[in-house]
Amino acid sequence: MLKKVSEKSNNSFVTTDIKNRYEILSVRNLTKSYDTFKLKDVSFTLDPGTIMGFVGRNGAGKTTTLKAMVNLVHSDSGNVSFFGMDIKTHESEIKQHISFSFGGVDYYLQKKLSSITDVYRRFYDQWDEKAYQDYLNRFELDPKKKAKELSQGMRVKYSLALALSHHAEILILDEPTSGLDPVSRDEILNIFEEVVDEHQTSILFSTHITSDLEKCADKITYIKNGQLVVSQEMKSFTDSYLLVNGSSDQLTESLQNTIIGCHERRGEFSGLIRLQDSGVTQGIKTAPADLESIMVHIERKQTK
Amino acid sequence: MKNMLYKEFKLSVHPTCYLFLLLSSMLLIPNYPYYVSFFYQTLGIFFIFVGGQANNDVYFTTLLPIPKRDAVKARCMTIVILELLQIVVSIPFAIIRGTLIPLENQAGMEANVAFFGLVFVMFGLFNLSFLTLFYKTAYKMGVPYLFACISMTVFVGLSELAIQLTPVLKTTMDTFNPVYLPQQLMVLLVGILIFVLLTILSYRKAAAHFEQIDL
Repeated sequence: MLKKVSEKSNNSFVTTDIKNRYEILSVRNLTKSYDTFKLKDVSFTLDPGTIMGFVGRNGAGKTTTLKAMVNLVHSDSGNVSFFGMDIKTHESEIKQHISFSFGGVDYYLQKKLSSITDVYRRFYDQWDEKAYQDYLNRFELDPKKKAKELSQGMRVKYSLALALSHHAEILILDEPTSGLDPVSRDEILNIFEEVVDEHQTSILFSTHITSDLEKCADKITYIKNGQLVVSQEMKSFTDSYLLVNGSSDQLTESLQNTIIGCHERRGEFSGLIRLQDSGVTQGIKTAPADLESIMVHIERKQTK
Repeated sequence: MKNMLYKEFKLSVHPTCYLFLLLSSMLLIPNYPYYVSFFYQTLGIFFIFVGGQANNDVYFTTLLPIPKRDAVKARCMTIVILELLQIVVSIPFAIIRGTLIPLENQAGMEANVAFFGLVFVMFGLFNLSFLTLFYKTAYKMGVPYLFACISMTVFVGLSELAIQLTPVLKTTMDTFNPVYLPQQLMVLLVGILIFVLLTILSYRKAAAHFEQIDL
């Protein structure tokens, strides 16, 4: 079955047949308990050829979820399947067709890229040396350089070059844009879009930089305190909320019951409401909500 | 496994491991506890793990499309290869010492056939204590190495005491006299057997530990 998955079809590494038959990534009721934190029943799916942003504040459980997905962390219950195969029973086969990175290339920093690649490529049946050379040129990576000599942005590019050269169909990246300057972030996001558009690769990346997601994410999965808040189309998610603000005397009881993350200061209030509750905002200024405002208000509500 | 071994020798093996092979020449010292030259290789192996931590080796390995168990197997095989190399490189020096320097070693066992059997046991004990303890966490290596050193020291101390203080063992084991070669060959064979059994056991326990831990 896996062989079929890897067959190339019009430059796409996931055949239409497979796409129709399987969700390429399915996370079901993932649970993991630590002494001070619990990941509870996290479920979502990833569609082929899409970019999914995985958001949540620091400590929400993003990295734990991603690690549990690739079996670096043992989940207590739930399951994760790639291309219809369970990660716990088909780990090696699945890893031939996916790539993941937690914090970019921060291994063997004293080694030259050529030495790391020389080892890495041997493990992949589908390693494409020509594609690798193309990516090196495209990303302006010098194989003679040591990994430690690369900037943070270049390290992300190098890990992408490795992933794409074995035709990974799913890239799972933990905060690939954290610590990058705005120009480098934009560059990486453009590469994400190209990769998805050209190869039908799917990308799941965690971030707390919401503007990155607004630039390129098709879907978002939002996690809070180890629990899934939502996993849906980016636009429909942001469209389902409105920002409201007005004077404190406009803050009626019905509005107080529906407003999320209300903040009052100097006789003014601001907050977030669900679109379905917009009936209670007559006469009050509303504005479209962006992802950052939604997250901030939802998290604020929780901490209040 | 071939690819994993390639990775081990291309990226992970610390250069001192090769340097310590040359310390086999310490077998030429007329009076010396010859176990020490083999002990150095365990230090080289320890450096592989220290380097592995500095280089995020465990993380790099988990990116690769192999079962976690294979990462442990490759590391165990690398260690065995280095230990065997240390023994192989020592043999010419042991022969030179035994044939060209007609002085008894006043500091312990002669570097004879039985001695190599005991070195195999020492390496087996190192593998068992160090690997099984290290892979309980895959990052703490100081305490495992300390325990490994203690187990090797206790074994070497006890075997030296037994041989030096027991006349029959002193006569048969601490000598180059070919008359006692059959007995010494028996010690070598038993030593190899113990090494193999302890190393297999250490791999199994280490792999089981490594599969359990969250990374």
